Amino acid sequence: MKDRIIKDILPRVSKPARYTGGELNMLKKDWEKSKIKMVFAFPDVYEIGMSHIGGKILYGLVNETTNHLMERSFAPWPDMENLMREEGIPLYSLESFTPLNRFDVVGFSLQYELSITNVLNMLDLSAIPLRAKDRQENDPLIIAGGPVSFNPEPFADFFDVFLIGEGEELLPEFLDCLEQNRGLDRKSRLLKAAAIEGVYVPALYSVEYNADKTLFKMNPADPSVSARVRKRVVKDLDSAYYPMKPIVPYMEIVHDRVVLEVMRGCQRACRFCHAGVVYRPVREKSINVLKNQAECQLQSTGYDEISLASLSTLDYSGVDRLVKDLVKTYGDKGVGVALPSLRVDAFSIELANEVQKVRKTTLTLAPEAGTQRLRDVINKNISEEDLFKAVEAAFGSGWNSVKLYFMLGLPSETEADLDGILELLARVRSIGNRLSRRPVEVRASLACFVPKAHTPFQWRTQNSIAQLEEKRRYMVKQKMRSIKLSFHNSETSMLEGVLARGDRRLGEVIYQAWLNGCKFDGWSEYFKYEQWMEAFTTCNIDPTFYVERERPYNELFPWDFIDTGVSKAYLYEENVMATTGLCTPDCRQVGCLSCGVCPELEVNLDLKEEG
Amino acid sequence: MRLRAQYRVGPELKFLANLDMMHLMERALRRAQIPYLLSEGFNPHIRLSMGTVLPVGLWGEKEYFDLELKPMPAAEFMTAMNNTLPPGMQIQLCREIPPGTPSLMKMVNAAEYAFMIKKSSLELGDIIAQILAQPEISVQSRGKNKSVFKDLRPGIFGITIEVADQIEIVNVMVSVNEPLNIRFDELLDVFTGRGVNQELMLDFWRRGNYIRQGDKFSAPLEARG
Repeated sequence: MKDRIIKDILPRVSKPARYTGGELNMLKKDWEKSKIKMVFAFPDVYEIGMSHIGGKILYGLVNETTNHLMERSFAPWPDMENLMREEGIPLYSLESFTPLNRFDVVGFSLQYELSITNVLNMLDLSAIPLRAKDRQENDPLIIAGGPVSFNPEPFADFFDVFLIGEGEELLPEFLDCLEQNRGLDRKSRLLKAAAIEGVYVPALYSVEYNADKTLFKMNPADPSVSARVRKRVVKDLDSAYYPMKPIVPYMEIVHDRVVLEVMRGCQRACRFCHAGVVYRPVREKSINVLKNQAECQLQSTGYDEISLASLSTLDYSGVDRLVKDLVKTYGDKGVGVALPSLRVDAFSIELANEVQKVRKTTLTLAPEAGTQRLRDVINKNISEEDLFKAVEAAFGSGWNSVKLYFMLGLPSETEADLDGILELLARVRSIGNRLSRRPVEVRASLACFVPKAHTPFQWRTQNSIAQLEEKRRYMVKQKMRSIKLSFHNSETSMLEGVLARGDRRLGEVIYQAWLNGCKFDGWSEYFKYEQWMEAFTTCNIDPTFYVERERPYNELFPWDFIDTGVSKAYLYEENVMATTGLCTPDCRQVGCLSCGVCPELEVNLDLKEEG
Repeated sequence: MRLRAQYRVGPELKFLANLDMMHLMERALRRAQIPYLLSEGFNPHIRLSMGTVLPVGLWGEKEYFDLELKPMPAAEFMTAMNNTLPPGMQIQLCREIPPGTPSLMKMVNAAEYAFMIKKSSLELGDIIAQILAQPEISVQSRGKNKSVFKDLRPGIFGITIEVADQIEIVNVMVSVNEPLNIRFDELLDVFTGRGVNQELMLDFWRRGNYIRQGDKFSAPLEARG
């Protein structure tokens, strides 16, 4: 099959290097000698999937530290998909060109709600039944993990297993369990796996609804199955596995550089933020561990850039020393350091200037809202003064363009908040023009606020498409010179919202949407809103039920059984504080605020304080 | 010092675009800890010049690059690089070149392409004789300006055939760069336009890059200096 793909198929597709495998540092384990054969399936194209750090960790973890094997597969771009279907070529893994249905486990990484149609498409291309209930003894187990699986219910029909939480902890244990129970039938193996903390097997639960369509109850089908599924966390990141020899793709990918994960979690407690809750608590790596990882990765890849990744890298306690040391060690070899996101303050800019000695990067800041009032509502703890100081420092030291991130449709937003965004942009521009020799460029990206499960705003309504479009028109009307506004698609955001807080009944809608031809929904050129709406109509489900309804305090949510360690009472309290505009400080500075995660998961806030 | 290297790009790497190829080489230089020189300025880059651009879809027997680096024995350079280059890519030859040597881009003006063709009822010998006998071979340019027709004939320097068991290999020496650049896809059109269709083509690749002086073709690392 490999020869045929390379000779007959690939010359006819765009970017053939997506489909060849064989990259530097690829690990191809002996098929016969390996125990459980798993393929890591990423429901988007190669250059997106290969940029994902979690996949790199799991790939190395399984292949280097266990006697199982893991290969890779990505969603083929539509031109390749069409050829594969025409020529009868199944979806295959890049290591051994093995069709996906010959693996024991196909594991999907769910990073984004709308990638689910690509999951269905990839299963279909692999001749694997799309629904878990239709799969036979010989079919692989289809599993999923990643941030989206913290509300697994809309996707429950399609997966045999969800792994909740951090894979370093959970995946090897899960694979070992499958190996130990290899002789058992499918159902018994799933029952065994369900006993592992963090493993959720949707088929082992039945769901009942109230007359008003809200959730009444989730019942475990077997007394041995736990009613709640608790996420798994790595307690000490220093000793956790981290890849020293990641794969270096031949083609350019989105994040084409060494990625150092400096810490996991974020304690800033922004009330809209899903990652901020599900990845709690903050656990940092030691500076020496990071320097060693940087050295090994540079040595084994030859990359010319190191990116310091985390939810909020500037909050890493050793960031100043780490950046300066890395620049000092590698700068004269032409190797640069990248800070993917900056905190809104002058310190961040000073540090970014260190980095800029080697290579220019884009300056992006995220005030999220246009007025102090609204920033207090969402608990984005930055002041206007911080922002202007940051911008002054940036333009004063030679930056020439700034990109600012905002959200539209936040709870309690009024016209004054929209005006606030525009005024803020104008102020930034005038600071720039005062301090910079050339005319400055100010860009603003306006995303639509989508309330997410497990956040303080999980009770809130999402703005309708009509409301968001109205706000967009309002803002576009006030044309401003050298300020560029870009808006996220409100239809995409609505669908994201439905899936983010949806329940099991949406499985049918997803299936219908896929039948209607939906795929690559995260790509604007492929997103088919009408086909999705048709699917809702076919299934007689009203999408607005999931997004435009204010939920009462006592409503049972479909994701409540997933235990992130953060209590629902804490989230609700935060929600109430939002209404009154009260801020919650960072618990690493003021002490414990009793969100529940540390005692519940028996893990500590792990800061590597540098003097 | 300035160093010129000749390397092979194996069939497994034929889908790489030129920029990918450059990144691959730069990363190998860093992994091999070659003392390369960097350019000045805000965005320093390795003083590497990929002199020959291999079209996507082709592999190459002999490609070339120039590199500026701190003094180091050429043999050591080759060993260090070959230890880290991916399978399919090897440096075959390298040598220090004097400062002031014109760049590869300026010197290379001919390239030889090979087509591996399955034996069929087609008489390749006749087709080739026919091509060579034509006073003009006009094709629609595949380059930037697609509306232009260009005459390839003066740029086709010679065609030879090697006959093997089930296959024939047609080697074509053509003009590249200045004054007449014949693109590989334009050359392919010349053959497919005469009945040698894609199903018969088992493989194609670039044999090498040459400096043509009159009737003499020499490889960039063949003649000293």
